[in-house]
Amino acid sequence: MEEHIVPADAEQAVSTEAEQAVLAEADALAEAEAAEQAAPQRRRINRAVLAENLWGWFFVCFLVIGTTVFVYLAFVLSVWMSFVDYRGDGTLWEALGQSNENGAFYWYKYMFSSTMPGLFGQAGPGGLENFGTSLLNTVFYLIGIPVGMALSLFFAALMSRDIKGAGAFRVIYYIPTVSSTVSVALLWSNLFGAGGTMSTLFNAQFINGDRWMQMLTVLILTTWKGLGGSILLLCAGMNGVNESHKEAASIDGANAWTTFWRISLPQLWPTIFYCIVTSFIGGMQIFAEPDLIYGNGITNAAVMPVTPFVGLIYGQYYTNQTYSYCSALGIILMIIILLLTLVQFWLDSRRDKV
Amino acid sequence: MSEETNVVAAASAEEKLSFFQTVQKGLCKFASWLGFGSKYYRSNKRRKKIFFDVITYVILIGFAFIMIYPFWWMISASFASTRSIMVGNSAWWPTQTAGEQYGDLFYHYGNVLTIANGSGTTLFQSIGVTLMFSLVPVTIGIITSTMAAFAFAKLNFKGKNFIFFYCLAGIMIPGPSIMITQYCIFTELGWTENGLSMIIPGCFGAIMTAFFVRQYLFGMPTAIIEAAKIDGAGYWRIFWQFVVPLAMPAIAAQFILSFIGSWNNYMGPLLFVQERSWWPLALLVRWFDQESSGSEQNAPAVMAISVLALLPVLILFAVFQKWILGSIMLTGSKE
Repeated sequence: MEEHIVPADAEQAVSTEAEQAVLAEADALAEAEAAEQAAPQRRRINRAVLAENLWGWFFVCFLVIGTTVFVYLAFVLSVWMSFVDYRGDGTLWEALGQSNENGAFYWYKYMFSSTMPGLFGQAGPGGLENFGTSLLNTVFYLIGIPVGMALSLFFAALMSRDIKGAGAFRVIYYIPTVSSTVSVALLWSNLFGAGGTMSTLFNAQFINGDRWMQMLTVLILTTWKGLGGSILLLCAGMNGVNESHKEAASIDGANAWTTFWRISLPQLWPTIFYCIVTSFIGGMQIFAEPDLIYGNGITNAAVMPVTPFVGLIYGQYYTNQTYSYCSALGIILMIIILLLTLVQFWLDSRRDKV
Repeated sequence: MSEETNVVAAASAEEKLSFFQTVQKGLCKFASWLGFGSKYYRSNKRRKKIFFDVITYVILIGFAFIMIYPFWWMISASFASTRSIMVGNSAWWPTQTAGEQYGDLFYHYGNVLTIANGSGTTLFQSIGVTLMFSLVPVTIGIITSTMAAFAFAKLNFKGKNFIFFYCLAGIMIPGPSIMITQYCIFTELGWTENGLSMIIPGCFGAIMTAFFVRQYLFGMPTAIIEAAKIDGAGYWRIFWQFVVPLAMPAIAAQFILSFIGSWNNYMGPLLFVQERSWWPLALLVRWFDQESSGSEQNAPAVMAISVLALLPVLILFAVFQKWILGSIMLTGSKE
């Protein structure tokens, strides 16, 4: 503490003064200490929270901007564009400002109509015929999915047996999945082409055969190419099946077949369901394989019987530049995929109840 | 293994066996060799497993052959000298006499260079563009995706859940539904003429990549981050020095998968690249097919360029297959 040298006569008064001063100082110190203890801590918490918020937003901002601009903005503009009439003349922004003189729903009406006049040089009434054909083709291409699922379940079951070299098989079966679609499609068009090895082997016309054989060729390609992915996922699922459940079943006298159907399969169902849903979503968007092997149905009407739905969108874009019609078709495709997915989830929820 | 030990009830029934029973017993004996039990013979677990193992191997090897054979056909076809030899006659190896073979075995691989020059781009330029379209957006995109994944998995900020589901809901919009609008936007911006349309969108990261890295990061202990924070490391430093190295297996696998996806991308460049000098390999190969598949002399060159387009991806896959397959089995992402 401070020591004042003071005259003796004023000692008393000064001492009280000094005491008071000391007391006041102590009070101030305590206050300051308390303030020091409280204030910076509160400030530090605020700063930490703020920093975490700011950094959090910073870390996600690229993904959010990308999603907003290239997915959501594009989607909103797609919906908007389907209600106007944009055919590549003038800028996009100008076209979006003008309304469709044939009515806002012209393109939606056109695609479901068989009486409206043809589009540009394209003969034939309305868009319904092409719409129906391409949708039917897409649905036909979906047949490969259940076949592929059954096959991959079979192979996954074989690979998860206690055998040597299962990993090597997984790698080999995955090779077609990573290979380039363009290369593989061109390979297919030679392998299954007129007089090609497969045509000779099976004594059948594939690529130059009728419509169904042509689509079957694409079906074989997509199944062959998609097998590896689902096998891998199912193998991972099989590893997750509870071993003790299997053991309990076998102690209770179940054979391997029953164990597979009653123990493994129900526990594997979420994986199978995931595979089916994603395959259907991807399968509805099939485009590259038929396009590379046969060409496009709008550019060349002879190919229309094998053109999938996305091929129709691409053909309208490429041949006629009817961007608004393409957008309308795209919206319909999205609704179809959404409904298909909802139906699958609905069926799955019913399975749980049963 | 002697038959006597396997016999259960054979001795007593030995005397009076009808013809049918003899046949039945013979069949059961045959089955017992394979390990199956019957009323005459006990089952043998070891033999049964060997029996099923053999069947498994036969089926798996048979289908592995189906998986591989088209690639073999592709390579052998690229060595054929003409179209008719390639298509008609080359189940294993093109049957051609020395007279039919013009040039050397690799004639068509050289021919690829010559034919590609007529497309408005060259093979090497196209390979360079493909590398650029694959490496640049995938590298930057994986960083931005991992950043978002880190924030979603380990940071608390306002609106995190909303932003996460906002991003995740984006995958419900199928690509073909918005591709025409994207084309129009990119055309307005002038990106379709200079390849930027294939580079810039990818740099903002991919939702699925972010999602799977986030799943991986959930398994990482938060204590490490807390400790780093207490020691005074900022979030930026935590991200680069802790999160990225720790999540490296997931990041690397997603990187390779995205790279392969970009390399094989067909629809994107088909719509978004209008200049031939910016054609990636996929479009060059497509042009090549349209140009030469009808030609008697040049058709095998189509297979040659297909092999060339396929090779880098297959090599990459062969080198990193352990990571790739591990990541797919871990995260459930198929592409």
